[in-house]
Amino acid sequence: MRVTRLVALTALVAVSGPVGLAAQEPAGGPTQAQLLEGFTDPSRWPTFSGDYSGRRHSPLTQITPENVGRLTPQWTFQSGTMARGRGFETTPLVWDGVLYVTGPNNYAWALDARTGRKFWEYRRELPDDLTYGASAPVNRGFGLLGNQLFMVTLDAHLLAFDRTNGNVLWDVELADYRVGYAATMAPLVVNGKVIVGISGGEYATKGFVDAYDPETGERDWRFYTIPGPDEPGGDTWPYTGVRERGGGGTWATGSYDPELNMLYWGTGNPNPDYYGDDRLGDNLYTASIVALDADTGIIQWHYQFTPHDVNDWDPNHVPVQADIMWEGRSRKVVMVANRNGFFYVLDRVTGELLLGKPFTDTTWARELDDNGRPIVLNDGSKGCLPDYWGGTNFMPPSFDPARGLFFVSARETCATFIPQKPVFEPGRSSSGGTVWVDRDQAYGALRAIDVTTGERRWEFRYPTPSMAGTMSTAAGLVFTGDNEGNFMAFDAETGENLWHYPTGWSIWGTAAITHMLDGKQHVLIPSGTNLTSFALPD
Amino acid sequence: MPMQMLPLRLPAPLLAPTYRGVGPVPRAARVAWQVCLGAAALLLATGVATAQDGLANPHEGNRGAVRAGRALFETRCAECHGADAKGISGPDLTEMFAAGRTDGRVFQTIRAGIAGSIMPSSSAPDDELWAIVSYLKSLGTVSPVEFATGNADQGRQVFTANCAGCHRAGRDGGRLGPDLSRITLSRSRAGMTAAIRDPSDAMRVGYRTVTVVTSDGQRVRGLKKAEDAFSIQIVDTSERLQGYLKADLRAVQDEAESLMPSFGPDRVSDTDLDNLLRFLTSVHEGNGAP
Repeated sequence: MRVTRLVALTALVAVSGPVGLAAQEPAGGPTQAQLLEGFTDPSRWPTFSGDYSGRRHSPLTQITPENVGRLTPQWTFQSGTMARGRGFETTPLVWDGVLYVTGPNNYAWALDARTGRKFWEYRRELPDDLTYGASAPVNRGFGLLGNQLFMVTLDAHLLAFDRTNGNVLWDVELADYRVGYAATMAPLVVNGKVIVGISGGEYATKGFVDAYDPETGERDWRFYTIPGPDEPGGDTWPYTGVRERGGGGTWATGSYDPELNMLYWGTGNPNPDYYGDDRLGDNLYTASIVALDADTGIIQWHYQFTPHDVNDWDPNHVPVQADIMWEGRSRKVVMVANRNGFFYVLDRVTGELLLGKPFTDTTWARELDDNGRPIVLNDGSKGCLPDYWGGTNFMPPSFDPARGLFFVSARETCATFIPQKPVFEPGRSSSGGTVWVDRDQAYGALRAIDVTTGERRWEFRYPTPSMAGTMSTAAGLVFTGDNEGNFMAFDAETGENLWHYPTGWSIWGTAAITHMLDGKQHVLIPSGTNLTSFALPD
Repeated sequence: MPMQMLPLRLPAPLLAPTYRGVGPVPRAARVAWQVCLGAAALLLATGVATAQDGLANPHEGNRGAVRAGRALFETRCAECHGADAKGISGPDLTEMFAAGRTDGRVFQTIRAGIAGSIMPSSSAPDDELWAIVSYLKSLGTVSPVEFATGNADQGRQVFTANCAGCHRAGRDGGRLGPDLSRITLSRSRAGMTAAIRDPSDAMRVGYRTVTVVTSDGQRVRGLKKAEDAFSIQIVDTSERLQGYLKADLRAVQDEAESLMPSFGPDRVSDTDLDNLLRFLTSVHEGNGAP
């Protein structure tokens, strides 16, 4: 049947022009409308967080608290690439039985979701004088639209790939990597635009959020995280000559509210990280969350978590959206468990702060004043704050709307900060000092936070701080990992550990995903060089 | 990786002045390297290329270097990249120059290895590495003279009518077959002609025809991307990537005939073929290349 059709078509196009065989029956990737559907089709995980809300909460219920103890590995894919101890930090995308996966050193693959076997592999030829990209040679995932995949690179480019064969369709430079820029985040496709952020806040760089045309790679808009001297917020940088190297990276994927057409994005630490005397002032919009109009990139509101940050607490977190009851009425909110140890709930229409409360043992500040500003008790010189990795980090949290619980890997840490004036040179790190971390006092915990009160509902402790994200499901499960390499499932109600599997390497900077395939719910976790898929036995 | 001590007979010009034996890189070579780096830094300042891209092969065009490089390659590289450099566990190296790699870039990759992969660094003298570069380049480059005749505009029409459904050239085309944007850099005229006239004679790994028969009798035809004892991964003729468990299939039928039809002189005349090859060459010469 298909044989005849193939020959017939080939003969046909020979006379009729450019209509090719392939164009007849396209097996298309997601349209923009399908991306808006998020989890509606349970076989899919089409964006970094699964849907635009940033909740990383799947509606799937085949795996339950009762049967999760029987979860069994189905296959393992080995990337064969790792650098500086950094392995997979990616979120695979799932579409039509195929996984699209990025890896360290800008490797990427299309894999069979049934077996983990490769359709194609890509490796970028990287320059050997990478700057920030050499110190963290990782990647957090693809963006997907139609037949195109989008990936950022360690030399600060954005690439578009053909989903079918991994061929590069276009390649544009985001910024000059030699200055200190790099890119590691998973692009977010919104309104037919590819939204990307930039890394490099440890160097003399200036952060931005960009939007690109998926067909041509042309830049549509750019939002700089540091305003000009005459723009609103410009007066928070009273010293001249500082803005252009003021930091404010945007290296974690944001979330999107289609109804408000607003993007929510975390902005990183000011530079130098620890030495603030050269950059007095609040340093907007560093260490903040910004709401941007998705069509224009124009800022709608902002909230600064850590004014004049000197502890490298860059809130490059996934902003998590929910509609919750707040003091008797429904509010559209966005939530962040921050590196500075506070959990925040903000009105995502206006940016009004509703709640700000520590979720770890913070010694730098214990409360916020009436204007939402932290009442600072300790700048770090006396020790015992969250350390420079923070009360949590960029690993994605998750939110269960039915239970009103926010799940986060909390890090209880202690450090002393010793600032020192750095030398500013293009391509040279300018962190501005050192940090002494007291590892004896550190531990980690999976915590469930009641979002209406900020109170802790339950916790499960680990001997060392974990860098694993969380993924929850409507069945009442929370999946996460620990620094010792265990992949684990918990009862969302009680925090009871129900299952664990030792993967052999820290689960670090990433979280699980889940999807249906051939009638079975699969759960995937990246760990070290491995990506493993789990399901219930027959 | 243990250094292989070869009874190398490099031609004299290759030995002088930087190479006098086996061992650590002589100071002269290091100085030469630094000079090169300096030159590359100039390039860098103008944004033309990265440091290593700018390095020129000091043995460019030296046939002796190609022969020496081949011997070195067979002992040191072939285990992973294959005796024909078409790849075993390591990648196919025969088309990297066609894909845009420079001499300097390949040299530096051999020198430094690839971080995070099994590809090791090398401490062999510069001249040995340049000889390997010369050899690899000799495999994968074709003189543009081979494709100098023909009419590119007419060739574009031939491409659009016959090839674009499955192949890409420049910005346009299909996804089933290999991207042809740079193909005439690595394939000879004879090779291209054979592949178009008799494609079934040269099906490459990843492009072999297969039909799977599902349990409900549906036949799905496509290109085999991977296979093991229990599963098979294909791209079907509608460009759909799909994996199948063999336990769920009635049959897996490997086919001797390429999915690409034969384009004999009755379908594409010698003149059209000439025009087509000229068009493909014009694509990577800058006319519509990505």
